Amino acid sequence: MITKQLINQIEGEATISFDIKDGVVDFATIAFPHFRGIESILKRKDALDALVITPRVCGICGHAHLMATVRAIEDAYKNAGYRVELSKKVEIIREFTLVMEIIQNHFKWIYLTIIPEISKLIKPNQKQTPLKGAYAASIASKAIAIFAGQWPHSSYMIPGGITTDPTNVDILKVESYVDELINFFEKESIGISLETFLSFKSNKNFGGLKSDISFLENNLMNLNMDKKGFAHDRFLVLGKHTFSKPLKIEQTYPTSSDVKYVNITEAYSLNQVSYAKNAQYGDIFYEAGPLSRTISNNLPIVKNIYRRSKDSAYTRVMSRIFELATLLQHAKNLLSKIDISQKSYTQCMDISKITAKGIGVVEAPRGPLLHLTDIKDGVIQEYKIVTPTQFNIGSSTKENPTPVQQAMRGTTKEEALFIFRTFDVCSVCTTH
Amino acid sequence: MARMTKEERKTTIISAALQLFSERGFYITTIPDIAKKVGMSVGNFYNYFNSKDILAKELIIYISEYLGRNIRVINEKESSTEEKIYEIVSMYFNMADEEPEMIEYFLRVYLSNREIFGDGCEGMLCVSPFVTEMMMFFNDGVECGKLHNQDFFSAFGLFMGYLGGMVFLFGEKILPEPLEWYKESISQNIYNALKTR
Amino acid sequence: MHSKQDKKPSIIWFQGLTCNGNTHSFLNLENLEKLLDKFELLSHPTLPSTQDFKTITDCTLICDIFIFEGTYDPLMKRNNVLVSNIIEHYSKYAKYIIAAGSCASFGGIFRSSAPQRNSGILFVEQEKSGPLLSYERKVINISGCPLHPQWLSYTLNMIEKGNNIEIDSLHRPIELYSNLAHHGCTKNEYFEWKVDTENFGEKEGCLFYKQGCRAPMTHASCNKILWNEVSSKTRVGTPCFGCTEPNFPRSNLFSTKTNMSIPEDVPLGVPKRNYLTITGIAKTFHIKRLEGKLIDYKTTD
Repeated sequence: MITKQLINQIEGEATISFDIKDGVVDFATIAFPHFRGIESILKRKDALDALVITPRVCGICGHAHLMATVRAIEDAYKNAGYRVELSKKVEIIREFTLVMEIIQNHFKWIYLTIIPEISKLIKPNQKQTPLKGAYAASIASKAIAIFAGQWPHSSYMIPGGITTDPTNVDILKVESYVDELINFFEKESIGISLETFLSFKSNKNFGGLKSDISFLENNLMNLNMDKKGFAHDRFLVLGKHTFSKPLKIEQTYPTSSDVKYVNITEAYSLNQVSYAKNAQYGDIFYEAGPLSRTISNNLPIVKNIYRRSKDSAYTRVMSRIFELATLLQHAKNLLSKIDISQKSYTQCMDISKITAKGIGVVEAPRGPLLHLTDIKDGVIQEYKIVTPTQFNIGSSTKENPTPVQQAMRGTTKEEALFIFRTFDVCSVCTTH
Repeated sequence: MARMTKEERKTTIISAALQLFSERGFYITTIPDIAKKVGMSVGNFYNYFNSKDILAKELIIYISEYLGRNIRVINEKESSTEEKIYEIVSMYFNMADEEPEMIEYFLRVYLSNREIFGDGCEGMLCVSPFVTEMMMFFNDGVECGKLHNQDFFSAFGLFMGYLGGMVFLFGEKILPEPLEWYKESISQNIYNALKTR
Repeated sequence: MHSKQDKKPSIIWFQGLTCNGNTHSFLNLENLEKLLDKFELLSHPTLPSTQDFKTITDCTLICDIFIFEGTYDPLMKRNNVLVSNIIEHYSKYAKYIIAAGSCASFGGIFRSSAPQRNSGILFVEQEKSGPLLSYERKVINISGCPLHPQWLSYTLNMIEKGNNIEIDSLHRPIELYSNLAHHGCTKNEYFEWKVDTENFGEKEGCLFYKQGCRAPMTHASCNKILWNEVSSKTRVGTPCFGCTEPNFPRSNLFSTKTNMSIPEDVPLGVPKRNYLTITGIAKTFHIKRLEGKLIDYKTTD
């Protein structure tokens, strides 16, 4: 029997069509109904205008889009034979604001998505405190805004650098926001120090803790989420950052990955209009995002959880929380490396002299984000965007399911809806 | 003599000074010469201008305002950019014909004695009314799609340098024909050089 | 509008074609909880609310304040119901309709993907001919891409207190949009003396002359009510793109359109001739303090 389920509060809207057999999901397809045509809007625009347009793909990860655009244009410069010099300072600050956006996203996901969602499955409900997520995200946004002017929808990264020239006053202010976030995470989310949390050897360390995260962990275990929601056990990272390297992992065996193998196919859905497309590596579906990144980084606690619980819903949720913890520490570390005396911007050749293609690859909160542009005399001829949700939450056939389709199989519909959320769905990105 | 307002009296002094500077040269002309020409005592003259340098600056402002006023009238007409170029050329040449001392002062005194105009008359300070109107002319020309969008001074230099050169040749009596004779071809040349490519 | 015994005004926040930017911008509001306490949130894209989405699209209830985010597309459906039917229903009964962001106000970025049919809810760019024309007196535009959380919080608080919100001809609250983005810009002195910045990435110099800054032509209080309480685009050397105005997004956003080096657009309300006069004169002066790096200027006189 096919039942349709409307999903909202996922940065937009989606519909899942479940084919239920014997009370469990036999197969499900996903449709994203809304389409905004960003790629066509970009055509024939001045290439630099993309720095303003693409952040508007997404209200929650627009900064990742900005970085993908700036990388794509800088790549086009290189392909056209022009140097683009970036100072160390520029690279660190860009990286820092990107990391803060991921942190912002993860906090919201914990408090506005995953805790409310898990509360639908258990009794008594876990106490819901969605505004904690908004609060933490607003602090992360302040830290971004000191460098980027505002969040969401900043355009402070430009080919050759960043528009801002921060002082020590700014750096100190940002530091205090990061400290405030760490303090919040320790007090409100995990109930112990960040250091202790990151030194966890296994999930046994949660024993005896009373905090938002330990409740969540406990509930996940009670729901047997460590035995459900398995995807393909294949992981993909494409963005090159201080916190990630391009790798694909199959049966725990890592090899380097290259964006040129990314393949876009039409989505398949049961009797529904969808504007989504599927992203594959070669012709294989891989899971992308925090789970893939933490595994490829060999984060001990996530590796340990993974050894026991594979790519279950439990591992997926916990990896995101541990990624958040490592990124908080990483952000502090990045800040300490900023040398404000370095250049914020090095002028590059006028964009009107550029005729070339360029690719920008970034790790966005949910995984790899690709921007592919074709520029002629500084004007965009073609612009393609591939988003993380297209890797994870594509909709394919029963024979060749996407990670989320695989993960929802064999569970009840209610569980499947929760598992769907563990991937952190971004509808607006999917159908840009 | 009928009673004149202070402003009118000032204008009389300016006209007289321009005439004398043009006939005898700027440096040779003295304040007593100018005072004598307008029939006033040297002491009274100082009520109007404190020094020859101040007078020199007032003169350039006077000329700049005169040019600016005339170009503004042209700018505000409904006519085409080509017609406006002709009208500006025509206005400038007529002025060179009818009030040669003004253009002469501008070319011979202002442009070649920068030291006098250093303090308080540098850059755009004294010529602002004139240059502003030329800016408006170029701006409108580009806006209506008739003129090629380029650097202001590249265009300004071409336009005013050309006119200044012709007036100079005219003043040196090198031109075989009267200025009037050149209006049409020069306007065409300027338009051709500046028009949209 | 409400005495203490009255029930809280109810809100439905509904989305058309959007990136969710206004939703996420709103979540940055300081004291969000205090504001939300004053209202009954029937539906919101991310915050917990009392009604499920199906109830909203079924149009079986009404609300006091209807907030619409995103571009209006007459063919768009939410939960298989035409958005045009949904907004007609809620607009009819609501006391106030708020267009959250530039897409809802004027059409914004997503108007350009189908300009012949997409629009704001009351305006199609600056022309008042959107679908909610018959309810125009209720509509308040909080333009901006995204909107500033405090602009929306101001509007909601004013409504809750029963205060009158004066609006401009584009239906934006005067108290928020009579300022220009230029007001309070930390680069103001460079603008006064017409010192343009050599390049991006510098504290010194104004972005109006080459880098395309629209702040002197843009109604917005970005430099008065700071973004995320800490900064603004121009404060970090990014030009203002004029995102609160009906013609956003313009083209060639990082360069100033000039005619023979003369800015095509000059500060609002200033005749170009007067602007050029002042500019020419200001440029004449060379002020050492404004020409070098601020950090190198160590004298205090």
